[in-house]
Amino acid sequence: MGLFLDIRSVKTLHLPDQRLQHWRDALPDLLNTCPVGRLDLHCGDWSLTCSDLRDLQRILEDSGRQIHRLEVTVAETVVSAAAIGLDGRLCEAGSSDEDKPSPPPGSLTVHQGTLRSGDHLQSDGSLLVVGDVNPGARISAAGDVLVWGRLRGVAHAGRDGATSTRIVSLHLRPLQLRIADVVARGPEDQPIAGMAEQARLVDGEIVIEPAQPQALARS
Amino acid sequence: MSTTRTILICSGKGGVGKTTTTANLGIALARRGASTVVLDADFGLRNLDLLLGLENRIVYTAQEVLAETCRLEQALVKHKQEPNLALLPAGNPRMLEWLTPKDMQAIVALLEERFDYVLIDCPAGIEDGFKNAAAAAREAVVVTTPEVAAVRDADRVIGLLNTQGVSPVQLVLNRVRPKMMSTQEMLSVDDVTDILALPLLGLVFEDEQVIVSTNRGEPLTLGPANSPAAQAYTNIAGRLQGEDIPLMDPAKARQGLRAKMRRLMQTKIF
Repeated sequence: MGLFLDIRSVKTLHLPDQRLQHWRDALPDLLNTCPVGRLDLHCGDWSLTCSDLRDLQRILEDSGRQIHRLEVTVAETVVSAAAIGLDGRLCEAGSSDEDKPSPPPGSLTVHQGTLRSGDHLQSDGSLLVVGDVNPGARISAAGDVLVWGRLRGVAHAGRDGATSTRIVSLHLRPLQLRIADVVARGPEDQPIAGMAEQARLVDGEIVIEPAQPQALARS
Repeated sequence: MSTTRTILICSGKGGVGKTTTTANLGIALARRGASTVVLDADFGLRNLDLLLGLENRIVYTAQEVLAETCRLEQALVKHKQEPNLALLPAGNPRMLEWLTPKDMQAIVALLEERFDYVLIDCPAGIEDGFKNAAAAAREAVVVTTPEVAAVRDADRVIGLLNTQGVSPVQLVLNRVRPKMMSTQEMLSVDDVTDILALPLLGLVFEDEQVIVSTNRGEPLTLGPANSPAAQAYTNIAGRLQGEDIPLMDPAKARQGLRAKMRRLMQTKIF
């Protein structure tokens, strides 16, 4: 890995089947086989409380590992994760995300429903949210961020450095906008109703302008 | 009994009026003839018993019921003036660690056998206390005030309730000051419902009588519905039971007595 830590190289760690072994007993062995760095933690059907998760987080951090994301099949653990500020995702039992290839750059993930405060949605391709992104929610994608609704949270397009990406919304009044490495505060005045706007990088600065339909087709 | 409605009263932020809402709603539902129990899940800082004036009558808590050192009937504290209402403290302030979501479900299952309404007073925050309280709930009422911080926290809580499958979730907008709303010094009702996107169960106007009644341990809904807040809570209870009661309009409330007199003159005299 050299001097640079590649933030995109995320490993996965699977907690053991709870019918076979408790995760606390299995953890030392698991850590021996798991590389140091950021990792996705697959918790299966473990129902973890906030204090369980904190313990787990502490054990991992003491050994030089950070939890990037949790994948769980029980809602309770997702709630605990959200409560202590971890990014938890609810998956259907039996289907592991590992089997599915991560969306290639340029692909579009569609999310239906409102993102509420504390939610964080991300994608390796582009993202389309059909619904609102509320204040306090975050949405980030390697490609474009498109919101068919009101964008009032934090949006990050070009998460991995792509400067040609854009953020488009029917009502573009975010708390903060990020495109690649550039950060800007959202505008304060009210937008014109019924006009979609887009944010993109022009000469290293984020500018907001009426959305261009052809620009969307391009990407 | 499957017809029992188990409603979580939560907010995320503290001090917006969860406990006041629980107490008043409990009394209002009981006065309308529904057998109601209020479960104080905020037992670390419990004060639902204070608001109901039942502090000195608590002997047992749900903890003893689950440990089978007492029967449920012994732990339930019946309200002095309103026999349809009972209070059950979930635990003892000194025993914070014992309760798990499973315990909570067990308690609520016991209560559902004998009550029409189970109201759960949720602690502030979204950590274990919230999760315990939310584990047993079927529906939720989110209480918020027209303040940015309260709305933000409510939004977070609504997201968590959605992942737990609690539905329906309804909104009570508490401590509304019609005058400040009309001068746009305060978030408007539309601003709040715009963000939270929930059905509005009720508006409660800021009312000094709430403070008086809280200190006395007699919820406002016990008395005649002559204060705006008492009326609001009674209306909320009615809407919970499916009645079609129009929401109070802050713009009209602002005009107050003088407008009422004028309207009276126009209709009755001329």
